[in-house]
Amino acid sequence: MSKRLPFSLPTVGDDRPPIWRTLDQKRAPEKAALEATEEKGVQAPNLVQTDSLVSRRRFMQVGGATAAAVGLSGCLRRPVEQILPYTRAPEYSLPGMPLHFATAVSHRGEAFGLLVESHEGRPTKIEGNPEHPASAGATDAALQASILDLYDPDRPGKLYRGAGESREAATWADFDAWWREKADALGAGEGLRVLVPPTDSPSFMRARAAFMQRFPQARVHTWSAVGADAARGGAEQAFGQRLDALVDYARARVVLAADCDFLGNEPRANRAQRLFAEGRRITGPGDEMNRLYAVEGTLSLTGMSADHRLRLAPSQVDRYLRALAARLASEGVSLPGGVGEAVRGVTVEGVPVEWVNAVAADLMENRGRSAVVVGSGQPAHVHALAHAINAGLGNLGTTVQLFPVVDAEASDSLASLTELVTAMRGGDVDTLFVFGGNPVYDGPGDVDFAGAMGSVETVVRLGTHDDETSRAAAWFLPMAHPLESWGDHRSIDGTLSVQQPLIAPLRGGRSDAEMMALLGGIRAWRGYHLVRNTLREQVGAAGLDRTWRAALHRGVVPGLAPVSPATGGLTGDVAGALRENAPASAEGWEAVFIPSYQTGDGAQANNAWMLELPDPVTKIVWDNAAYVSPESARQLGVETGDMLTVSREGAGEVTIPAFILPGHADQVVTLPLGYGRTAAGRHGNEVGFDVNPARSSDGLGFARVTVRKASGTHEVVQTQDHHSMEGRPLAIDANLAQYREQPNFAQWREPTPSTSPLWTQVDYSEPLYPAQGGKSYSLVPEALPPREGAPPRYKWAMAIDLTTCTGCSACVIACQAENNIPIVGKFQVAMGREMHWMRLDRYFIGDDENEPQVALQPVACQHCEEAPCENVCPVAATVHTPEGLNVMAYNRCIGTRYCMNNCPYKVRRFNFLDFHGEVPELKKMQHNPNVTVRMRGVIEKCSYCVQRIQTARIHARTETTVDSDGEIHERRIQDGEVTPACAQACASEALIFGDLNDTESRVHRWVHMDRQYKLLASVGAQPRTTYVGKIRNPNPEMV
Amino acid sequence: MAYNEPITELGEGTLVSKGTSFREITEIVSKVTEQKAPRGWWILFGISATFTAVLGATVGYLVWTGIGVWGNNSPVAWAWDITNFVWWIGIGHAGTLISAVLYLFRQYWRTAINRFSEAMTIFAVICALLFPTIHTGRPWFIYYPLPIPNSMNMWPNFKSPLLWDVFAVSTYFTVSLLFWYVGLIPDFATLRDRATHKVRRWIYGFLALGWRGSNRHWSNYERSYLILAALSTPLVLSVHSVVSFDFATSVEPGWHTTIFPPYFVAGAVFSGFAMVMTLLLIARTVYGLHDLVRIRHLELMNKIMLTTGSLVGYAYAMEFFIAWYSGNPYERYVFINRATGDYWWAYWSMITCNVISPQLFWFKKLRRSIPVMFVVSIIINIGMWFERFVIIVTSLHNDYLPSAWGNFSPTLFDITTFLGSLGLFFTAFLLFLRWMPMIAIAEVKMVIPEADPHYHPEGGHGHDGSPHQMDEEHDAATAEATPKAKADEEEE
Repeated sequence: MSKRLPFSLPTVGDDRPPIWRTLDQKRAPEKAALEATEEKGVQAPNLVQTDSLVSRRRFMQVGGATAAAVGLSGCLRRPVEQILPYTRAPEYSLPGMPLHFATAVSHRGEAFGLLVESHEGRPTKIEGNPEHPASAGATDAALQASILDLYDPDRPGKLYRGAGESREAATWADFDAWWREKADALGAGEGLRVLVPPTDSPSFMRARAAFMQRFPQARVHTWSAVGADAARGGAEQAFGQRLDALVDYARARVVLAADCDFLGNEPRANRAQRLFAEGRRITGPGDEMNRLYAVEGTLSLTGMSADHRLRLAPSQVDRYLRALAARLASEGVSLPGGVGEAVRGVTVEGVPVEWVNAVAADLMENRGRSAVVVGSGQPAHVHALAHAINAGLGNLGTTVQLFPVVDAEASDSLASLTELVTAMRGGDVDTLFVFGGNPVYDGPGDVDFAGAMGSVETVVRLGTHDDETSRAAAWFLPMAHPLESWGDHRSIDGTLSVQQPLIAPLRGGRSDAEMMALLGGIRAWRGYHLVRNTLREQVGAAGLDRTWRAALHRGVVPGLAPVSPATGGLTGDVAGALRENAPASAEGWEAVFIPSYQTGDGAQANNAWMLELPDPVTKIVWDNAAYVSPESARQLGVETGDMLTVSREGAGEVTIPAFILPGHADQVVTLPLGYGRTAAGRHGNEVGFDVNPARSSDGLGFARVTVRKASGTHEVVQTQDHHSMEGRPLAIDANLAQYREQPNFAQWREPTPSTSPLWTQVDYSEPLYPAQGGKSYSLVPEALPPREGAPPRYKWAMAIDLTTCTGCSACVIACQAENNIPIVGKFQVAMGREMHWMRLDRYFIGDDENEPQVALQPVACQHCEEAPCENVCPVAATVHTPEGLNVMAYNRCIGTRYCMNNCPYKVRRFNFLDFHGEVPELKKMQHNPNVTVRMRGVIEKCSYCVQRIQTARIHARTETTVDSDGEIHERRIQDGEVTPACAQACASEALIFGDLNDTESRVHRWVHMDRQYKLLASVGAQPRTTYVGKIRNPNPEMV
Repeated sequence: MAYNEPITELGEGTLVSKGTSFREITEIVSKVTEQKAPRGWWILFGISATFTAVLGATVGYLVWTGIGVWGNNSPVAWAWDITNFVWWIGIGHAGTLISAVLYLFRQYWRTAINRFSEAMTIFAVICALLFPTIHTGRPWFIYYPLPIPNSMNMWPNFKSPLLWDVFAVSTYFTVSLLFWYVGLIPDFATLRDRATHKVRRWIYGFLALGWRGSNRHWSNYERSYLILAALSTPLVLSVHSVVSFDFATSVEPGWHTTIFPPYFVAGAVFSGFAMVMTLLLIARTVYGLHDLVRIRHLELMNKIMLTTGSLVGYAYAMEFFIAWYSGNPYERYVFINRATGDYWWAYWSMITCNVISPQLFWFKKLRRSIPVMFVVSIIINIGMWFERFVIIVTSLHNDYLPSAWGNFSPTLFDITTFLGSLGLFFTAFLLFLRWMPMIAIAEVKMVIPEADPHYHPEGGHGHDGSPHQMDEEHDAATAEATPKAKADEEEE
């Protein structure tokens, strides 16, 4: 809408013309004018006014300038751009108004409900679906980034037939014809195999059943490099059936995480994070909070959040848990399954005695309200032991609930792959379909999947990318992204969601369920029909339409009975399993394989956002590295960046740069998966190091290896390379007992200055805006006229709860997705030019390099009331709004970078180069149209998602009412109506945003919390963002 | 006693070698612009012009590609760009000081060097202005900080020290240029009158603005010169004070310091004199100006450098003291980090060059030794560059939040921009030497004894007026001091 005022055209008066040319004209102007008009064809003189806006002189000036401008514009040949209106508008589509669609994906072993924002048919942003239990509105970093996978320009748009030299493009019609012919020849399906990743899709399972019916001799194998097989195996040992555990961290007062990164890499981490935060959140000295013990080799997200952390080689976790069980048994806890007998007298060396005794006592004190959780990397019998301990402590059914595996036919992934590879080698397989996954890359080093593929006559690959596996296949078929295809996902607790596409496949792909249905000969194999028919089977034909619509609308299929957790005690022979597997000795080096926090097992290796996401623990970008402890590095004689060779007998070896990580277990080397891809795409190729060759099938989690220094170095780039707070009061923390004694401890360390500045300050609590008659502090007149009935002024603010922040970095990616933040690449990050508006500062506390405490602090623009950046900008490109936001006017910025220097928080980012210049067209579709795409040479920074505030304001304004007295009432934006992207993604709800002028708002409560403080308050910038001090809850007996 | 006679009791000496006549002065200075440039000039000009071309290419690439071609980053958003800016501005300081302040204080020895230093000021300020322009992210909008009425109804932010810089530096540049030009007018007239070629006569005639040397001309000239001197004197203090506000008004530890304005002014005078010294020594040797620029002048300049260098040293010490005394942990850290952190070498280079090296001038012998003063003046210039580098980079690279700490290292383009600006400066300066009177002819004439109406030469009235053999002498041995000058200096 134009704010321009209409031109004030002078009215035509009938006064005498004040100008005259001759005396005649002066005396008889009408006549002279008439004559003049007749003579020369000019306008009647009474239209010519001296006080006209446009004088002759002015006209000549403007005319000349216009001519010059027109002449200049002729120098540029502009591309022809056509603006085409909809001839038939899509339903509900209003240009400029985003739509949100509920959908679902399967993410890291869990069905995940999503709400996806779509602008004019382009999905732009992924949010969690608040109605879905796995998400409850939050998402993790990987899911936030998965929108970028949709627009990955390296996803092939066509089919390929043949491998290597003979490869040629094909069409779906070619493939369909080939398959029809092939299917007839396959008979009962001898030699036909399918390899798929684990699934939670009922439609896929139905299609698979149909496939098995059609080809009874065929087999469907499962492989996933990272999975829950060990946990399920442990449940089988303990309960006689494969079960998945759902831990209620909100109820658990004491959690012992044994090599279990349940806040990070374990399945269902997002749900765990939310529940854990719920049990940990503390709003006053009287509140209780949970306590987390972490036993782990590698510093993880869970370890960073732990109250006590024991660094222990993963191989020793078994022994530790046995010792703990022995202690519990000796203290009178009856451990079922004969475990008490089996572990009697076990001790663990090198572990402080209180880690057994005090932890056991703490667990016993919290019977039924504690949880012992074991990570996926640990062998099955350790999981079984944990189940036994939980059963003994009465946690089963209360804090730990066990549910049947969603896919009842899910088999052990490793066994399944090994069996397949053996069959392939033996020549028993002549047609192999590989759906998704990437076994050539992520298969264990001793399972030579690539080699075995050579023995298979035809490998058909359905994949998102032309990756390592696809290149070796006879057929490559593009796979559709979950946002492009129909599907369904069942959650562990029985919640069923429909995955609905937001856009037609950009690259013409099909989903794996569709392909399975096609193989199974289901006639209605197209996604929509497949999923709908599956739903019909579950809810019946009656009312299907209504259920279907409700499912699409809410994202959750309503009316389904929830799956009840498995009941029944621990009946398996856990003791036998423990005796069978003696605890490993601690001799020698061991390697731990963890999915990287950025690329997982490699699936997101071409996702530039994830590659540039600083690892939450190490802050490394665009790389993986072998983490070793400071002591081990000394032994090996390496520094960070020196190459190490890690070799595993029977598998292979990898050469990878070392990275010295404080708090890491000695003689352990951590190898993050998911890097070193050779055919990932433009971003992921040759980034980092592939560690799979050293991963053998008998040591997927951890294994004995030999480590030696190799020649050469590699530059490992971190976004933060100073890890000490230097004694400064930055991320302020206290123990629970100290907090109770001194609730405002944070103010003691960083007091808010009590002296006010010498000048009058803006009072943002004043209800009137300047335009409404409130006091204006601005030099320029307010742009907008007073608006009748406008609600009182807002005062936007954010509070950050350091107690519940785990450092997962979902906020970083959420911000990147929402605000069109470019990636800059490894070299530019090394130069210090990363563009993230939100960063997660991670500090190590304490002198002991081996036992660091960790403090985490999300830092974005603090929106200072007395912003140092604003004063120094020579062109007033960064200014304050009447609501107290510190905003950037990008098109005013000339890029002096003075604001960046003068920002004490260093949150301002500068476009040193044209970082948006090389963005592929396809990727541009992801851009949020409500946020300016910044050009090079301008500063940018967090805006508190001002576009979301404006959207809420527009929305509220549409609900303006007029009462019976004719008074206009504009609705006030309610608390919770505006959530910035970071806060929306945060599963811990550690970021709280709202209006401080609303005394009932959540943010008002948090900002006035006793342990609140402002970061660097002593500088006097008066930040609007408030931090709420971190509380740790250590066991008094272990301090 | 004659008006121009040195007061020996105050340690004054003659300012021009004895026996140098009016005509000789005119000859010495004007000849340079009239004869073919010596070989040395061509060599220097070739080098400078090459560096200027490098600058042009670098700036072109920079504007085309972005500031990212330099090493600037977060947290070090300003690095060599602003270091160079402040350095050049500092160098440009000596001009006004010598022309205006010393003029008002009747320091007649300034006449030998004022033209020189004013020219140097102009060119240094041009180089300085280059940096804030090209260092912006979008230099094509560089006019935004100017208070031009515009359709956006936007004023610049008058609270920003960068805006004050715009005014301070542009005022300084304008006044310096005017001052320089006004001083040049009588000398342009001299060149015009001596010109033998039509074009040359026309150009110098144009520049001389019709100067005829009448009494009224002289009277107006003196008056305007005095007014300009009075106008420029506050600028001597204001320019670098305002430049120091860029830092002093910020909240950065290491920048937020009240000592900055005087400290910057002292540093600027210090580096300005050092640069004048470097240039002067070269020109004096190349063009044989020994009769006009005497050891005495150089010694006085060295004394000023000794003074300002010690002031700067005091400021360094005081900064450290205040960092400790204030009890501000951030401030303390920055200063300890300066001396012992990643950039310790820059800090100690600065101390060595700026504080220790001028102390040599306590010794008369050293302060009168041409090679010593030449080397020291270059060292001081290096040191003053390091001072700005230390202030800017070491304060920024480790400030408040350790999570945001980072280091700066220059790229090839940082180096070429800096060297290129030196090229631009020397190119302009060499052109000045070639085409303009590098010493204020009229002013030097005023300080020779003969200029005194009461002048009585030994052995009788009047000037013998016999032609001198200056021309041959100078052509033959430009690198050698004239016997007259030598004799004089020994006498002193």
